[in-house]
Amino acid sequence: MDTLIAALFTGTSRGAIYALVAMGLVLVWRGAGIVNFAQMGQAMFSTYIASTLIMNGYSYWLAFFVAIAAGALLGVFLDLVVMRPLSNKKQTELLSSQSMRSAVPVIASLGILGVLQALAGVIWAAEERGFQAPFAQEGYTIAGRVMPFTSFDLFVVTVVAITLILTVIFFKKTGVGLAMRASALDQEVAKLSGIRTNGVRALSWAISGAASSLAGLLLTPTSNLSPYTLDLALIIGFTAAVVGGLDSLPGSVIGGFILGFVISFVNYYMTPEDIYLAILAVLIFVLVVRPRGILGGKDTRRV
Amino acid sequence: MLEVTDLTTSYGSVIALNSVSMKVKESKITTVIGANGAGKSTLLRTISGLEKPSSGSITWNGQSLLHRRPEEIVRVGVAHVPEGHAVISALTVEENILMGSLFRRRTHKRDIALATEELYTLFPRLLERRKQLAGTLSGGERQMLAISRALVSRPSLLLLDEPSLGLAPLVVEQIIDSIKILSEKTGLTVLLVEQNANTALGVADHGVLLSLGKVVADRPAHELKADANLRAAYLGY
Repeated sequence: MDTLIAALFTGTSRGAIYALVAMGLVLVWRGAGIVNFAQMGQAMFSTYIASTLIMNGYSYWLAFFVAIAAGALLGVFLDLVVMRPLSNKKQTELLSSQSMRSAVPVIASLGILGVLQALAGVIWAAEERGFQAPFAQEGYTIAGRVMPFTSFDLFVVTVVAITLILTVIFFKKTGVGLAMRASALDQEVAKLSGIRTNGVRALSWAISGAASSLAGLLLTPTSNLSPYTLDLALIIGFTAAVVGGLDSLPGSVIGGFILGFVISFVNYYMTPEDIYLAILAVLIFVLVVRPRGILGGKDTRRV
Repeated sequence: MLEVTDLTTSYGSVIALNSVSMKVKESKITTVIGANGAGKSTLLRTISGLEKPSSGSITWNGQSLLHRRPEEIVRVGVAHVPEGHAVISALTVEENILMGSLFRRRTHKRDIALATEELYTLFPRLLERRKQLAGTLSGGERQMLAISRALVSRPSLLLLDEPSLGLAPLVVEQIIDSIKILSEKTGLTVLLVEQNANTALGVADHGVLLSLGKVVADRPAHELKADANLRAAYLGY
């Protein structure tokens, strides 16, 4: 019984973070048609910025918001400097097939990941460093038992819930949100309606960058920070996005929580080494049973 | 006035428009007719900025439309309803119309509400279905929605591509009539592309016949309609 409750608690707080990672991936996929493998590299970079600020005596909260802003800026920078020139028609006419052309930015994102990790190694040295949490890391006590749910976990769940609600309101209720949905669904009609699709695209990168930086900030206190610590989160987040349907934001959140619970249960009931196998099993199961994901549209299959 | 001069547009090595020159007079309906593959859609797509011409010029009221993105061309009052009832199926009727007004929502908030109301009066069926997803509409309703999406920005020039495609004759008539009334009432200039030459020439003031990317006739609509030789040679009936 204790193990079950513990698994549920851990699953919730982990799932919340994976939902954020998956949401970031889905945003760029919908907004720019790119699976951004550099996403958690960007998050790692901004988490290092936060960590450096904290080590230099600035408050956690200042570092927290600076890192999120840095994540957004880095996202826009990558779109403007790397991705947009790459998807420019003239430069890619050499590649004849459409699938080859759309692969170029994805490969570039792997390159960016490598560059960011190397750069972080050069700037901050490649050793792991701790990253403080703003709250106590002791579990709450329920009925005399210490639960693996700390005030930091509560903070994680609250922050993610607020972020998700704000995202939903933004997309459903604001003009910019509508412009983003329209451009993701049909570029041509969006353009003819006067929507500046380039700006919308950059905004997708910004929001995705901010969301994944937030995920990075929420993940590192329970592990450590090194240029490679967030790689696993990318794999899990990507799986969550595929499970949810890659082009669906609510789907990505559902996928995130499914992965959170699966990993947490495997961790408690089996051994931690089995989680990679579990992730793969979930991915294969969804791809076999429902290839377009839980809430995915019809043509996600080709991904 | 819309002036197209020596316009050439190619897709790779295929020339779709070959040195096309034509004029569209203000507050009139001009139709471009011709067989499949004559370059009608390409003409509209080049005017609205979706395709880049290799040479020639396009001016709207003396203002050049060349080297501008589609989203900027809408801002000078040229709205394009592309072929195939172009609406976004996964958005509601209301959202599709709102989408067309986004770019002027800061400056013309009140006018947008008014324009939306006018469109619902013009196409009452859209009002009934405004909370429904556009994907659930019938073909005719989708075409009405696509036109509304374009009209909500209060364009001065409407580029309309094959509104009759795949629709029942009665619905086509209803849509074409609405456009005619709108043009007469508000002075909207319309460039209508149609494969259905009879319908188009019936409503238009002026007609241009395209064949294999070239202009073969440019005359008042009623003259073009009466010319049996041209009809037999280029339209096949």
